[in-house]
Amino acid sequence: MDGLAEAIGFKKTRLPLIILCGGLTGACTAFGFQYWASAVYYPYNIGGRPFFSWPAFIPITFELTVLFASFAAVFGMILLNGLPKPYHPVFNSERFAKHATSDGFFLSVETSDPKFDMETTCALLSGLGATHVEAVAQ
Amino acid sequence: MAQIFPKKANDLVKVLAAAVVLGACGLGTMATGLWLSPFITQQDVAKQQVVPFSHLHHVKGLGIDCRYCHTTVETSSFAGIPPTETCMSCHSQIWTNAKMLEPVRASFKTQKPLEWLRVNDVPDFVYFNHSIHVNKGVGCVTCHGQVDEMALTHKGQTLRMGWCLQCHRAPEQFLRPPSEVFNMQWQPPADQSAKGLELVKNNHVKVEQLTNCSVCHR
Amino acid sequence: MSPHDTNVAALEPSIPLIAPGHTYTTISDKVAGIVVTEPQPKSWKFGILIGAIGVMILNTAVIYLFYKGIGIWGVNIPVGWGWAIINFVWWIGIGHAGTLISAILLLLNQQWRTSINRFAEAMTIFAVMCAGMFPILHLGRPWVFYFILPYPGTLTMWPNFRSPLLWDVFAVSTYATVSLLFWYVGLIPDFATLRDKARNKVGQWAYGFFALGWRGSARHWFRYETASLILAGLATPLVVSVHSIVSLDFSVGIIPGWHTTIFPPYFVAGAIYSGFAMVLTLTIPVRKIYALEDFITQRHLDVMAKVMLATGLIVGYGYIMEAFYAWYSANPYEKFMIYNRMTGPYWPAYWALVLCNIVTPQFLWIHWVRNNPIVLFIISIIVNIGMWLERYVIVVTSLHADFLPSSWGSSVSWRNLRPRKTSSWPRKKSMTRATSRSMRLRLFPWTVSRKRLGSRRPDFL
Repeated sequence: MDGLAEAIGFKKTRLPLIILCGGLTGACTAFGFQYWASAVYYPYNIGGRPFFSWPAFIPITFELTVLFASFAAVFGMILLNGLPKPYHPVFNSERFAKHATSDGFFLSVETSDPKFDMETTCALLSGLGATHVEAVAQ
Repeated sequence: MAQIFPKKANDLVKVLAAAVVLGACGLGTMATGLWLSPFITQQDVAKQQVVPFSHLHHVKGLGIDCRYCHTTVETSSFAGIPPTETCMSCHSQIWTNAKMLEPVRASFKTQKPLEWLRVNDVPDFVYFNHSIHVNKGVGCVTCHGQVDEMALTHKGQTLRMGWCLQCHRAPEQFLRPPSEVFNMQWQPPADQSAKGLELVKNNHVKVEQLTNCSVCHR
Repeated sequence: MSPHDTNVAALEPSIPLIAPGHTYTTISDKVAGIVVTEPQPKSWKFGILIGAIGVMILNTAVIYLFYKGIGIWGVNIPVGWGWAIINFVWWIGIGHAGTLISAILLLLNQQWRTSINRFAEAMTIFAVMCAGMFPILHLGRPWVFYFILPYPGTLTMWPNFRSPLLWDVFAVSTYATVSLLFWYVGLIPDFATLRDKARNKVGQWAYGFFALGWRGSARHWFRYETASLILAGLATPLVVSVHSIVSLDFSVGIIPGWHTTIFPPYFVAGAIYSGFAMVLTLTIPVRKIYALEDFITQRHLDVMAKVMLATGLIVGYGYIMEAFYAWYSANPYEKFMIYNRMTGPYWPAYWALVLCNIVTPQFLWIHWVRNNPIVLFIISIIVNIGMWLERYVIVVTSLHADFLPSSWGSSVSWRNLRPRKTSSWPRKKSMTRATSRSMRLRLFPWTVSRKRLGSRRPDFL
């Protein structure tokens, strides 16, 4: 649902920071390794170029930066979201399974919420114009 | 029934992920171990030859010099495998009836060489020359191990590129005086690094060229 | 207003990206239905059959290749790069359109991408797989391809990080991985949809496994959108870098015809050009077979055709600049290179490529052409062929005649499937004679052989 996140007021996630760290790790790994391998560990003469010929190390540094950052983005997103989680109580609802991923909008209130109370919460949701309210077992 | 997976699937997923990561690491470790093991390198694995020739007996026991049999080691790329005649120079006189030596006598009679299985070999794309190594002060033992203690001959070292490079990168750690090349008992002196540098200089070993690709891959 | 009756098309009435009358429900049902509920049409089975036959032919060819060696392609000195490298560059270029559609158009907020992006991303992954295969097949000993990877081995040395060929390994493998990640991330919510629509246990389990338990929570979506946007931001420079690096394979070399600074942008434009051609080649039949005209509308085809036209013009500019700088540089080798391309033994390849890549796309200026799927399909096929020929011209004609006439030769015959020794051409009465003999065109049965370079030799040589 477009604009929902803004409406609820989600503003911050640690994800960009994680991706930045991933990218920096990739850049440092790639550049450092190329420097070490070509200039320290086994310096060999290629066409008379300097051993530490840093411009030639840039392409691989760039590639690994992108690679590490992408891994950080994907795995960071999945793990921050607490996935994979094949079992979740909301799937116990028939209506959820039928509509949630295609054309429905659901609001889930968990019992761990301090303001949760079975009757008042149900009443509140119905009062707000919900088409259907249902309790889902753990 | 909308729930597809049972509740324990959540934990199962974590176990599965851990298993994949650990399994990959384990597999990598095992493959590395196998690659370094004598099963692949054939280091220290004796081969069954037509005649169970013992360097231990001939070199250590009788004191025969390496060059008595491997005649071309100082002058040619190939150290040389002795012709049957070299064996027969002694064995026409001693152990003339030994059953073990029957293939040698047969070879001598028929003029068909003994078929030794090669123990020390480098890949075809490696250019290796014995004479340059011997003349610059690389001892036999350095590459072949204590051959004088091998009842059956086996590879003394892996003969892999990384192993070659140890010496090609720092020959001063391994060189010995040319007079000691065939000495099986020589031990490096305490000041080998200083002495070695002197040997490098006196023998005109061009260290800066030793790791060029084309030195070995021509 | 419940989402059940939201008319999606009505939200943006000025842009008919989706035929009128559709709602979220109908779209989900139609798109997911192709996968989970409807039986596969006959044409799908037919397509799989064709594909399977193609794969079998490939397998046979690869076995023969491993048995005989790469000489069967006719590569030899001086034309040491041939079939495999041409195919590699062609395929990797095709892959680029998928990333462009999914990443760059996402960043540019182009709504029309959504109907074709998944499809184009899948094309990217398969194209990169095909591309990755060819450099390995090109190796003399393909089973030791891992020598080029920096792994801690018993050689105790590392690859040469200054070599564009190694950059290529990193670029292509990163590109393949990131494309796969991008594709998968895009698929997670769709796997969840399919999971919920699947009718049997196997489908539920399989889709459920890959959906990772996605339940569409708003907070999840927020992180998901963040990740997608950043991934798109990462993939955009990546896609530019990959074909730039591929072009550096050539332009870092000193051969005339390769050693050009225009190569990176010109290769990237060519990649997008051929990629969009391939997207059209695949989209037009698929949209027909699965009756997706409501979702992949005329407008999509029109926009893709325009992208093709634009990139085609950039590529045309590249060709013109190559010729211009050959003249303007006053370098005799560069001059000869372009003269030899146009009039030498491989002239049919050069002019066919001009016809396919520069002349043909000019029809896309016409509105009627852009909106006629059949004509568009034919043009896209022609452009695909043209882009293959471009790589053929770059690889083969540049290599076959470089600086020294004594090392000139030709690429080789398909007729006898046997490598010819072009390296050991005997010194005949004159070098010109020997050259013209060896330069008979052998690759295609265009009978232009016996054309003597000597008689057509330009005065600056």
